[in-house]
Amino acid sequence: MATPWWSVCRRWSTNCTSPSLIETLWHFNCRAVSYSAAHLGQTSRSSRPGNEVQPSSSAQTIPNTLTCTSFLFRHKSRLLYSRPQSCCCRKIHSDAKPKDPFTLAQRDLTSLYDDIKKELFVSKELKSLCDYYFDGKGKAIRPMIVVLMARALNIHSNRAGDLLPGQRAIAMISEMIHTASLVHDDVIDGSDKRRGKRTINEVWGERKAILAGDFILSAASMALARIGNNTVVKVLSQVIEDLVRGEFMQLGSKENENERFKHYLEKTFKKTASLIANSCKAVSILVNSDPEVHEIAFQYGKNVGIAFQLVDDVLDFTSGASQMGKPTAADLKLGLATGPVLFACQQFPELHAMIMRRFSSKGDVDRAWQYVLQSDGVQQTTYLAQRYCQEAIRQLSMLRPSAERDALIRLTEMVLTRDK
Amino acid sequence: MFTAVRLRLSHKFWSRGGHRALSLFSSSEPSNWSKVVSDAEKIVGYPTSFMSLRCLLSDELSNVAMHVRKLVGTQHPLLNTARGFVYDSRNNLQMRGLIVLLLSKAAGPSHTASDLLAQDMVSGIYPSQRNLAEITELIHTAFLVHRGIVDLKEWTISDGPLKDMQFGNKMAVLSGDFLLANACTGLAQLNNTKVVELISSAIGDLVQGIYYENSSNAEENSLTDGVNIAAWEEQTFLSHGALLAKSCQAAMELAKHDKESQRLAYKYGKHLSLGHKLNSDLQPFVKSSMGEPSSFSLSAAPVVFHRQIVGQERWHQQLQQATTLRKQLDYSKLLAAVKSEKGVSSAVDLCCYHGNKALEAIQAFPSSEARSALENIASAITKF
Repeated sequence: MATPWWSVCRRWSTNCTSPSLIETLWHFNCRAVSYSAAHLGQTSRSSRPGNEVQPSSSAQTIPNTLTCTSFLFRHKSRLLYSRPQSCCCRKIHSDAKPKDPFTLAQRDLTSLYDDIKKELFVSKELKSLCDYYFDGKGKAIRPMIVVLMARALNIHSNRAGDLLPGQRAIAMISEMIHTASLVHDDVIDGSDKRRGKRTINEVWGERKAILAGDFILSAASMALARIGNNTVVKVLSQVIEDLVRGEFMQLGSKENENERFKHYLEKTFKKTASLIANSCKAVSILVNSDPEVHEIAFQYGKNVGIAFQLVDDVLDFTSGASQMGKPTAADLKLGLATGPVLFACQQFPELHAMIMRRFSSKGDVDRAWQYVLQSDGVQQTTYLAQRYCQEAIRQLSMLRPSAERDALIRLTEMVLTRDK
Repeated sequence: MFTAVRLRLSHKFWSRGGHRALSLFSSSEPSNWSKVVSDAEKIVGYPTSFMSLRCLLSDELSNVAMHVRKLVGTQHPLLNTARGFVYDSRNNLQMRGLIVLLLSKAAGPSHTASDLLAQDMVSGIYPSQRNLAEITELIHTAFLVHRGIVDLKEWTISDGPLKDMQFGNKMAVLSGDFLLANACTGLAQLNNTKVVELISSAIGDLVQGIYYENSSNAEENSLTDGVNIAAWEEQTFLSHGALLAKSCQAAMELAKHDKESQRLAYKYGKHLSLGHKLNSDLQPFVKSSMGEPSSFSLSAAPVVFHRQIVGQERWHQQLQQATTLRKQLDYSKLLAAVKSEKGVSSAVDLCCYHGNKALEAIQAFPSSEARSALENIASAITKF
C-alpha cells in the first residue's frame, strides 16, 4: 500500500550520496511540475499508480535543472498556488479565489464534537476523560480534509456534493482515532501539556489515560462497524495497525544514513499520513467503485499527511514554545531524529553519534539544535514538504473541479506556510 | 514450525516450575480442571492460537521482549504479565479461545448461509470462528498488559527508580496497543460488520470494567463503600464476562446461526465467566491450606457478601480490628471474620447458580462431544 513513496526512498538510497540527496529531490520536484503541467491538458486520467516515480532516466533528462531550482527558491510559496490556478482557469473565473478550507468545511463540522461525545457512551469519571480533548478547541484538521475530500469526490462521481451518512461518520472516526493515539502518545512520551492544557495522564494518571484511549478507540471501532461496509472497516483498521507500528519504529534508529531516511519517512507515513490517506480512501469507497479514484484520494491524503508532519518537524526547531503549545525541540528531547536533523547530519557528521545515542548525553540536545540551525536542514525539510504537496496537488487535479477540490489544493499551501 | 515453537514455549514455561503470576485457577483443584481443559482441547483439533503466536513472534514484540529484560529486578507489573504469557497460556489465556471453539463446534455447520462451505471446516469449526477465538485471546491479553500500567505519581523513590517505571509503562502501552491493533485488523478480516461491532462493544465493556475495578480498589483505602452483590455482578460482567459472552455470540453469528442460538451462546459465556470469577474469588476462603493465608481483594465476592450481611458499621469495626499497628491488614484475622458469617456460603451458592445457568444454556445445542466438554467446564467451576 505504501509502495509509491517507498520507491522514492529507494531511489534515494540507491542514488544518493550525501551531496546529491537534495539534488535528487530538486530533480524530482522539477519533474513533478513539468509532468503535471503536461499532464493537465490531457483528458484521460493517468492509469499509472499515483505517485509511482518516473524512471530515473526521465528525471535526468529534464532540461535546465538549475533554472527550475532557482525558481523553486524564489517563488516557493507562490509556485504551489499559481499552478493549480492555472490548471483550473478554464473552469473558474480568474478572480475567484479558492475558498478557505476551514470556512468551506465548517457546515459539515458544526456538530462534530457533539456527535463524537454521543458515541462515547459511558458514564461517570471515564466519560470526562474521554470527552477531555473533544472540547472544540482542536483544529479538527483530519475531519476537515475528510469532508472536503468526500464532497469533492461526490461531485466527481456525478452526485450532489452533500455528504453521505457514512462519510460523515468517517470524518468523526478519523478525529476519534487521532485523539485516542494522542492520549497514548502522551503517556509514552511522558508529556504533561497538550494544546495548552494538562494532559490526561497528568491529571488522572497513566493507567486511566491508557484505558480512556482504549475506550475512545473501541467507540470509534463501533461507529466504523455501523457504517456496514467491510472494505471501509478494513481500510481504517489498517490505520490502527500503522499507528502502532509507526510508534514502534520510533523506538529504533538505523545506523546507515540512507536507511535512516527511509525509516523516518516510513515512520512518518504510518504515524501521521496513514490516517489521513486511509480516511480519504474510505470516503471514496462509499461513493465510487473505481479503484483509480480510491487511489487519488489515498495519494492526496498520504502526500498531504507526510508534508504536514515534515512541517511539524520543522516547526519543532523554528517555532517558539508558546506557539506550538509545547516546548520546542521536543523531538530532540525525546531522542527522535527528524528530517531537519537527518539533513543536517550530512553537513555535520558529528551528529551521527548523537543520533545513535538518541541525544542522551549531556548537552546533546543543545549541540544538535545548534548544528541543525547552522545547517540548511530546515530548508531542505521544507523543500521536501513542498515536494509532497506538489504531488498531492497533482493527484487532486485529476478530480473534476469543485470548490471543495480547490480548497484542498489551497490547504496544501496552508500546510506549508503555517507557523503553528 | 508453529508446533515447534509451541513446544519450545511450553518447555520454557514448565521449566519455570511453580511460578504463577496470573493464574486464577489455583493449585487446589488442578487435577479436575486440567483434565477437563485438556480433554476439551482434543475436541477442537488444534487449540493453539496461531494469531497470538504470530504476534508474540513478531518483530515488534520480540523488540519489546528485548527491552523487557531491562525490567528484570524492577517492580513493573509488565514483567509478571510477560511471564504470564508463557506460563498462563494453558490455563487462562487460551481458555476463552477454547470455549469459543467448543461452542462453534457444538452449534455445528450453518444451515442457511450458502457462502459457508462445510468442507472448509476443520474439526467441525469454520476458519472464521478460529480467527475469532484468536482475536478474543488477543484482546484479553492486551488488557492484561494495559491493566498493569503504573501511575507514576503514586510511585515513590523507595519503590525503585522512576525511570524503570516510565520505561515499563512505555513497553506496556506499546505492546498492549500492538495486540489490540492486531485484533482490530483480524476483526476486519472476518468480513462481518455485526461481529466487528459486537466485539468492539466488548472492548468498551472491558475498559469500563477495568477502569472501575481500579477505582474500587482505590476506595478500599478510603473505606467509602456502598458495594452490594448486584453491583459486584454488574461490574464483574464488564471486566470478566462481556468479552467471552459477546465472542460466543459472535461465533454463532459467523456461522449464521439464528438469534436464539446467539442468545444462548451469549448466556453460556456470561454465566460461565461469572461462575469462573466467583470460583477464583472463593479460593482463599475454601482452601484448607497450612501456613500463611494469602491476601485477597476486599472486593472479592465473599467479602462483598459479608459486608452486605454484617452491614457497614460492623464491617468497619472488623477492618479496624484486623489492622495492625503498622497499618497493615492482617488477612488471617479478616479471613476468619468473613468465614464466621454466611458470606462464603452465599458466594458458593451464587457460583453454583451461574454454573447451572451456563449448563442450562448449553442444553439447547444438540448432544455432542463438544457439548459434553462445555458441560464439564461449567460443572468444574462449581467444584471446590
